[in-house]
Amino acid sequence: MDFIVKLASGFMNLFTLGGTQFVSWVTGIIPTIVMLLILMNAIIALVGDEKIEKIARICTGNPILRYMVLPFVSAFMLGNPMALSIGKFMPEFYKPCYYASATYHCHTNNGIFPHINASELFIWLGIANGVTALGLSTVPLAVRYLLVGLVANFISGWATEFTTKLVEKQQGVKLSRELKVK
Amino acid sequence: MAEYKSIRVEHGAGGFGGPLTITPTEQRNKVMYITGGGAEPECLAKIVELTGLEPVNGFKTNCPEEELALVIIDCGGTLRCGIYPKKRIPTINVMPVGKSGPMAQFITEDIYVSAVTSKQVSLADGTAAPAAESKPAHEEKKSEGVKFSADKKVSETLASQEKKSLVTVIGLGAGKVVNTFYQAARDAIQTCITTLLPFMGFVSLLIGIINGSGFGDAFASVLTPLAGNIGGLVILGIVCSIPGLSALLGPGAVIAQIVGTLVGAEIGKGNIAPQLALPALFAINTQGACDFIPVGLGLAEAETETIEVGVVSVMYSRFATGWIRVLLAYAASFGLY
Repeated sequence: MDFIVKLASGFMNLFTLGGTQFVSWVTGIIPTIVMLLILMNAIIALVGDEKIEKIARICTGNPILRYMVLPFVSAFMLGNPMALSIGKFMPEFYKPCYYASATYHCHTNNGIFPHINASELFIWLGIANGVTALGLSTVPLAVRYLLVGLVANFISGWATEFTTKLVEKQQGVKLSRELKVK
Repeated sequence: MAEYKSIRVEHGAGGFGGPLTITPTEQRNKVMYITGGGAEPECLAKIVELTGLEPVNGFKTNCPEEELALVIIDCGGTLRCGIYPKKRIPTINVMPVGKSGPMAQFITEDIYVSAVTSKQVSLADGTAAPAAESKPAHEEKKSEGVKFSADKKVSETLASQEKKSLVTVIGLGAGKVVNTFYQAARDAIQTCITTLLPFMGFVSLLIGIINGSGFGDAFASVLTPLAGNIGGLVILGIVCSIPGLSALLGPGAVIAQIVGTLVGAEIGKGNIAPQLALPALFAINTQGACDFIPVGLGLAEAETETIEVGVVSVMYSRFATGWIRVLLAYAASFGLY
């Protein structure tokens, strides 16, 4: 009998532990994120998509703008996955490269700006929670995540130009380097 | 006014729904606006000019539903925005409001479009009306609009139309900002309910089971050597980015999020040094979005050829640069905590 009781209480304990975790996240994380999300959503709605498209046209010419500045701005303003749609302002050859950089930008900026990719926030939050548990602030981590991300995402985007050339040779096709005039 | 033309209306900044194509007919030849206590919405003049519809002020008079080709409203998201979509009358909302209110389920993209200004209105054949031409025509139609209402209620119409301009401008401006924030709040809460809370619930249960059952120690013995030193993190980063495997690990970033939570738990227990959190963030996500390449390139309007090349190319570049990202993050992690 004791064994069964022990088993049952052990079983219930799993859910109590889970529930405690859930409540601590809901009360500790949700309120701040909701406030941030509201402000960011409002800013984005007030600024409008047209301005981003204007910036996009200017940024296609140079690798730094193309893989560091533009994906950052479009991730911030449009979030995941609409930030990827800005690739339409690039010549065909650069679209995969922009994609490679912009998708990473939808993660590395998530520490400070959770609105960018709220549904995949736990990549950041999961690890950041550990740091919080030690009584440390997560802000320095979030800032470095963003800064290292800027450099690393640029490298990833730029490197894709080389892999795209490689794959072009493998598949025997050549993608257009020029922007199609519509 | 006998000649009617179809127009295309898209949603504006922060808006929802559309694009709608509105085609007036002999029977459905009126556009009713129920905005700002009877003030004309900014997009009305252009709509009237392009379509040849007859404007009707919904605050002054009414109009049989069978004659309506279009309704323009400025609803902040309570009732009006659902009424006309429910009756399947095409509805333009000048406020940036999406599905909301008690009739939210009727607000669909094929019947409703929001945050509309004159910029979002164009002829259905794709040609926007030249700006120079639209001005004089605008004046003409406006006077006809006034005449129409004047038939109904003489004194009230003119008085209110003259007076309202300044008050309405301020009122509508403030209303737009307030409504934008309100909609932003609605979206934020929606995000919490549809994505954040379910994931928190799911991961909490997982953590409860792992910690309560003693699996946690087993996980720790696997994870700590892998995530607890830079060599292990680089290996983790390379493994996650192996072309092919990277596409399998991608969907919804679920695996990366769970691994992140587990690594976080070990950091919290002190098994992994906190400054390794930075390289770990990069290591668990080197596969980022490898499953999404065709869709993402589709969003960028890429051609089929580009997608075929891009899928392979991005996977290669993830594999080639993943470990560099981890090392870069490691170099930047000194002095973090």
